[in-house]
Amino acid sequence: MNQRLVAHRVSFAYDPQTPVFQNIDATIESGRIAAIVGPNGAGKSTLLRVLSGLLRPVTGTVMLNDKPLHGLHAIDRARLIAFLPQIINPAFALKVSEVVSMGRYPHMGAFATLSPHDRNVVERCLHDTETYELRSRDFMTLSGGERQRVLVASILAQEPELLLLDEPTSALDLHHAHEVFVLLRRLAGDGYGIAVVTHDLNLAARFCDHLLLMSQTHQGLLADGPPECVLTEELLSRAYAASINVCAHPITGSPLVTAEADTLERSR
Amino acid sequence: MKPTMSRTRIIFALVFITGAIGVASLLIGTETLSPEQAWAEWQSGRPIRECPTLSILFYQRLPRTLTAWLAGSALALVGCAFQALLRNPLATPYTLGIASAGALGAWVATVFIQGTVLWVTVWTFSPIQASAFVFASLNALFIYLLAARNPRMAPSVLLLTGVTLGMLCNAGILFLRYLAAPDRLVVMDRWLMGGVDVVGFDIVRTLLIGLTPCAILLLAQSAKLDQLGFGTELAASRGVHVGRLQAVVFFVGSLMTALVASTVGPIGFVGLIVPHSVRAITGSRHRILMPVSLFCGGAFLCFCDIIARRLLTGETPIGIITSLFGGPFFLYLLTRKRFTDWET
Repeated sequence: MNQRLVAHRVSFAYDPQTPVFQNIDATIESGRIAAIVGPNGAGKSTLLRVLSGLLRPVTGTVMLNDKPLHGLHAIDRARLIAFLPQIINPAFALKVSEVVSMGRYPHMGAFATLSPHDRNVVERCLHDTETYELRSRDFMTLSGGERQRVLVASILAQEPELLLLDEPTSALDLHHAHEVFVLLRRLAGDGYGIAVVTHDLNLAARFCDHLLLMSQTHQGLLADGPPECVLTEELLSRAYAASINVCAHPITGSPLVTAEADTLERSR
Repeated sequence: MKPTMSRTRIIFALVFITGAIGVASLLIGTETLSPEQAWAEWQSGRPIRECPTLSILFYQRLPRTLTAWLAGSALALVGCAFQALLRNPLATPYTLGIASAGALGAWVATVFIQGTVLWVTVWTFSPIQASAFVFASLNALFIYLLAARNPRMAPSVLLLTGVTLGMLCNAGILFLRYLAAPDRLVVMDRWLMGGVDVVGFDIVRTLLIGLTPCAILLLAQSAKLDQLGFGTELAASRGVHVGRLQAVVFFVGSLMTALVASTVGPIGFVGLIVPHSVRAITGSRHRILMPVSLFCGGAFLCFCDIIARRLLTGETPIGIITSLFGGPFFLYLLTRKRFTDWET
């Protein structure tokens, strides 16, 4: 089924005097990847939490398939929307298969053990993220890229329709960051709707359908649309309050973003 | 996909060990009882009170064994739960100062209430036990009220509040010791070392009635505690009511600890070493870790009680035994690789 998560004129503030953002419209839908981008402190992660239902907007509404998200029971919500925080710091040593099985939580009772169906789902998620070979490894001993793929597998085990990921590539080298986006693109092809907060504008430009550019000075969205429309020198320079250069990538042709290209050149 | 050790084998081993220790605990003591003698007395059909072996077995060894088992299993279970709640491997049922508050309560009763009209036994609680229970509960309530002002009841706030209250209680105890008459010091020091040397079934009944529903409630949180281990946000996004879970685990665990600490004294170490030792066998999924810890905690304290009865000619306080025997064993476990994995 086609899923649509729509934020309509949402505002959020941790304390009433200082709003994080105001009047944002955003849509996450099946088969598409939306990237939430912008400078540090612009409220990207907060917006993702509002979309996931973890935070309630101060004003505005978040609707899931035309029904209010906050009217949904937390377990039912977890079966539709999966959220992956930026920092996962497990308190216990667990095996990869256990980490992924934990994603079955919204489908299990308090005492329930994994049913054969649950085990099948877990196995499929391990295969889908190419982590099946890691299944008996200790999660703590994995590399950053492996960890991230396992965590994606664990949220896929929730069998959600929409995936919201907070900076899934922030700790990864450029190759592994690229791999994560390849995985996300494939999942979008399978029908998942995806929203991802990222600082990597070049990966966002290549792999995402839709960009939401946030800025602190603007207290909200500065621009939204396909990468070519959002990643312009004029908009980015305003958002980051810095000189940003954009050119076409010589091989892929997608927008290639560099900060302070001229200044850096001179400082050499 | 398989657990570290197959579940049926774990259960089989547990039933066997628990049974063996239970039988040993019934027979071994200051006087070793012979099963044949007990059987002969049973066959004779005389009332139990008139049979020397059976009356020791039934009125002393059995309640004592059950008390040790109940207290040990409760402490181990709460240890598991608090380690998950506080996301801290060093957490024990006593980390939040509950036992210290209980001890202070016991001291207050000895110094201020003994000899007054308030010195009465309420149900099965002696005045010392009742006062210890009240103080321990107040401590838990105070921590919760303070931590609940924080919207998410951050573990670090709970931890710092509990540790601080524990220190305050310890200071209070030192002050009372300074004031107290020397003969009471001896009595109280003995209480602080812990003991399961109960006679009759009053304490057993109290513990059984109080601990059973609490234990079931804690065991029912096992899947949620797993989720909590991966952080409150991920847990919340998967449908766990994090605030509710933290409140339930905190209160139920505190209640169990208060009950145990006030009836058998602050017996240390069980809540720390049993969960960690079990973790090495079963892994960290609470659905298996918690029930196995419960069994092992009970068996461990029974075992320590046997040693307590046999080590010296008289009785050695069980709190000394748990630390003396549990400590080195735990140190040995710590040197093994699996324990370096835990990150906080």
